[in-house]
Amino acid sequence: MGKSHPKVTEAVDTLDLNPVTRRRLLTGTGMFSASLAATALLGACSDKQQSAAGEIGNFPKTPKWKFVFVNHVTTNPFFTPTQYGAEDACKLLGVGYQWTGSKDSIVAEMVNATNTAITGKADGLALAVVDKSAFKAPVDQALDAGIPVVSYNADGARDDPGTNRLAYIGQGLYESGYELGRRALEKVTGGDVVGFIATPGQLNIQPRIDGATQAIKDSGKPINFTAVATNADITKGLSIIDAYVQGHPNVAGMLAVDAGSTQSIGQVVEKYKMRDKGLKVAGGFDLVPETLAAIKGGSLDYTIDQQPYLQGFLPVLALYFYKISGGLLFPAETNTGLLFVTKDGVEPYQTTKTRYEGSDTAKKLVDRSGAIPHP
Amino acid sequence: MGFARTAGEALTRRREASVAVVAIGLMIYFQLSAPVFLTHDNLVNIAQAAAPTAIVAVGIVLLLVSGEIDLSVGMVFALAPFLMRYAVDFYGVPAIPAILLAFVLAAGIGFVNGFISIRLRVPSFVTTLGTFYFLQGVVLTTSHAYPAEIPEPARGDIQRWLGAGDWAELTWCLIIVGVFHVVLTRTRWGLHTISVGGNLLGATEAGIKATRIKIGNFMITSVLGAFAGIMEAFRVNTIDPNLGGGTGVTFTAISAAVIGGTALAGGSGTVIGAFLGAVVLAELQNGFNLIGISANPFFLVLGTAILVSMVANQYLSRLRRAGRT
Repeated sequence: MGKSHPKVTEAVDTLDLNPVTRRRLLTGTGMFSASLAATALLGACSDKQQSAAGEIGNFPKTPKWKFVFVNHVTTNPFFTPTQYGAEDACKLLGVGYQWTGSKDSIVAEMVNATNTAITGKADGLALAVVDKSAFKAPVDQALDAGIPVVSYNADGARDDPGTNRLAYIGQGLYESGYELGRRALEKVTGGDVVGFIATPGQLNIQPRIDGATQAIKDSGKPINFTAVATNADITKGLSIIDAYVQGHPNVAGMLAVDAGSTQSIGQVVEKYKMRDKGLKVAGGFDLVPETLAAIKGGSLDYTIDQQPYLQGFLPVLALYFYKISGGLLFPAETNTGLLFVTKDGVEPYQTTKTRYEGSDTAKKLVDRSGAIPHP
Repeated sequence: MGFARTAGEALTRRREASVAVVAIGLMIYFQLSAPVFLTHDNLVNIAQAAAPTAIVAVGIVLLLVSGEIDLSVGMVFALAPFLMRYAVDFYGVPAIPAILLAFVLAAGIGFVNGFISIRLRVPSFVTTLGTFYFLQGVVLTTSHAYPAEIPEPARGDIQRWLGAGDWAELTWCLIIVGVFHVVLTRTRWGLHTISVGGNLLGATEAGIKATRIKIGNFMITSVLGAFAGIMEAFRVNTIDPNLGGGTGVTFTAISAAVIGGTALAGGSGTVIGAFLGAVVLAELQNGFNLIGISANPFFLVLGTAILVSMVANQYLSRLRRAGRT
């Protein structure tokens, strides 16, 4: 068939293709060739095709290892900085990563992605263990195949990590929920307190609500705490919180354990001027812009930062060290933090556009000055 | 040109041939770009991704052919493993009868879908949208939106044979596809299904009991959905209220049926085509994952690939029709 355009040949040559694929791609006809070319060119956008790394710093030359992150909500903006973290660590170390899993928290899709990573001979796995039993077999299979596995962001239930992963890198989920509740108790002495949770049972947030419940129970105060399910879909969640407030106008405290519900609390508190009624405290998790604005405006009292950037960066480091040391540098349990952001400290989060919070793609130095706040 | 003619003749014989060509083309492409594609372990991955969709798609084909649709089947898929668990854990029913009980209840749901759509004349799109939400409510309320573990009596052999074994899902899927291929092409039920979808008035006047056929197909679809759901729960070893992602599995199954050559408007369809459609979708999902495409560009690539493969499919079908004249 006709000759390929030189530009096409050039583009194809930049791909890391085997000779057969290349030839088919260049000489193929009609739809088949078009399909190959389209998919191959798009495939080139991924991080896979980079030249093998040489020596980096004091580290020896390694093969171009590929670490696979399996996530439960792959396109959720919360994990944007996590992906930047993984990407930055990979660039630093001359390795690659793949971000995959399920878009809608479907465990079967995550299991499929994990199995595919294992058969695809990934060099390491980072897994968000959002189900207590589904990942046990895949993780064992990976370990049997010599693939190191760490969990990140979610790690089974409180009493049962659900897998034999080497270590967990993320926030202590139960502890963070406990702190969420304890902080609320500074202002609430009694009455109704509600805790919103987008997807009860999902193990990236369920332990938090368990922790908050426990904190309130431990306080012994006459508080009536109820957990209310919202929705993974933030618009539906907002309607549910709105409806709850209309039914409970005198609620004393409103807490949430996920980013969507937290931002919705802020919006609802503002809408119904809950601060002028009986509401004493409102707080939740994560740093989406709407939540930050609500803190600034006083609708929310506090939100908890779990540093998602580190949940991408540190798993790559852990897996890299394991590989580079022949398994002697064993992944360490890592808490990525529990940082309260309040009205006093919210400003820099709002004004700074940075890769480390996911609000910017640019690689730039963020300056700070003045004293570091401490108790 | 001799080869082209032979290939053309092969295409004229079978309606499913064009989607089969696409499936094989994708297989070759992925094998060339990721040499582990055709290894045993990865074939298991593909089989496990394709089988549940294909089983649901078989039911969807029957319904589409008879001129109806079922959106609620994705929720029956999620509900069935819970029904089994409730029967075992709360009522002490042994595992196999509990599974059969889930099928019976699923058939009941199918009957309600059919009854409302046909007898009460609510379009099945609307009826099953209603039952979809109703069943979602049942799943979330009864499970407290909390995943459950596979009940103890169902573990071991039952779990392995009905989903967890490497080839269990595919084996059942092939049996179901084989049976319903025969049903649709060789039996009176199949003939009547095609007739009521192709020309309802004519079929009714010819004495075909359209109501019975359609309600029956709703029931078959629900039971197949329940079976696929239970097998998926066994495979991933957890009973998850979000199993199949609600609309997700329905949507994929309808896609598989249509990709395989079943007309959305009714009157014509193929069970084997739906199976191949499910295989194509599973290959795309698995193959691009294997190549290492990350989540955000993934949908870009997947969408492009579906369009390109289906344009190719249409092109091949045209060849087939041209070859016939």
